[in-house]
Amino acid sequence: MTSFFENLLSTFPAFMEAAWMTLRLTGVSLVLALVIGLIFALMKVTGVRWLGVIYNGYVGIIRGTPLIVQIMWLYFGITHIVVLSAFWAGTIALAIHSGAYIAEIFRGCIQSVDKGQMEAAESLGMKRALAMRRVILPQALKRAIPPLGNQFIIGLKDSSLVAFIGITEIFSLSMDNAAVTFKQLEFYTIAGLYYLAMVAIVTFVLSRVENRMDTAK
Amino acid sequence: MIKVEQLHKYFGDLHVLKGVDLEVAPQEVVVMIGASGSGKSTLLRCLNFLEMKNEGRILIDGKEVDPATTPLNKVREHVGMVFQHFNLFPHMTVLENVIEAPVHVKKIPRAEAIERGRELLEKVGLGDKGDVYPEKLSGGQKQRVAIARALAMEPSVMLFDEPTSALDPELVGEVLEVMKSLAADGMTMVVVTHEMGFAREVADRVVFLDNGQIAEQGDPETFFSNPQHPKAQQFLSRVL
Repeated sequence: MTSFFENLLSTFPAFMEAAWMTLRLTGVSLVLALVIGLIFALMKVTGVRWLGVIYNGYVGIIRGTPLIVQIMWLYFGITHIVVLSAFWAGTIALAIHSGAYIAEIFRGCIQSVDKGQMEAAESLGMKRALAMRRVILPQALKRAIPPLGNQFIIGLKDSSLVAFIGITEIFSLSMDNAAVTFKQLEFYTIAGLYYLAMVAIVTFVLSRVENRMDTAK
Repeated sequence: MIKVEQLHKYFGDLHVLKGVDLEVAPQEVVVMIGASGSGKSTLLRCLNFLEMKNEGRILIDGKEVDPATTPLNKVREHVGMVFQHFNLFPHMTVLENVIEAPVHVKKIPRAEAIERGRELLEKVGLGDKGDVYPEKLSGGQKQRVAIARALAMEPSVMLFDEPTSALDPELVGEVLEVMKSLAADGMTMVVVTHEMGFAREVADRVVFLDNGQIAEQGDPETFFSNPQHPKAQQFLSRVL
């Protein structure tokens, strides 16, 4: 037990740096994923057929293949065309991956808004795009917050998979330490504790946002 | 004001409107009645193109509206609609509901729209409710806000799709009162309703639909006291 706390303390600075990398990977990839998800969801709900086909293809492929395959594919595959740093390869892979799930969240929330809302907006002379922006999206985005929070937490934990393309974040740092010290159990426990702490922070922030939305309408 | 010629509408194999001819004059109040499934709501919804006709012609203000070539949003600016389920925007306050289209469609300056919006809310008896959200209102109040919201676009005709059907009985009166005062102000109105008292008192003309066709129409006094069509007689014996 003493050795556990010693290890925890001695590696603390390195892990803080790794945690910062995990947060950057997660944060940047989720912002990109929100943009991707919203664009694809809007493509799907226009009802234009070929846009729907693109949507189905994207969501189908991403949900149908493991994230680790997507990361490897992007990192090793795309380098034939453009040279991406490991950070950007990882971030883009995570963004494309989360983007598919977030697109599904947005699509579901947009379609869950009562049909009468669009009819009322159109009956007032609003064009569909204006009605979407002013009437449908504000209601849909509010409904999207709880499932998005869930997706953010998944995204944070999924960022551990970029360890396999050589980014020093929490999980890869644990692997390195475990390999050098042969204290596998301790270092993977330490990794778990860091993730737990970060998820707790994210959960807290999300619950604040949800409360705020409830009172602010 | 509105003219409909030989209108046909299908939902899949279901032939809902079977060649309807209808004309609504300026300042006229036309009440459409009929059993459920007779096509009266569908006809009303065709008038502002929430449902698309399959055959026939629809003329608004003397001009034929062809959905393929006419921007429908421009047509709808002149045709107000009130729905059975109100369809207020829940994320906006009552006043924001009312000024939304004037500000974002007609591009009226916000201050001016607010002033006009408050007047309209006053007119429907909700001058003190501008800053609350729709969820705090009763059904009758919501429907009055919906009427104010439609009026804010200064439409030349107002369509009402069973405006009191979703209301508790004790709240029906306040909505009908607002509609009566609108009619008295000379608004052109087409109303689908089950409120026979309203039809009798306010309508200039009653249109009875049966099975996708206009079976009978006439002034309310004659229609209610002496219906000619057997289906109309049957219908009235059940609702009156």
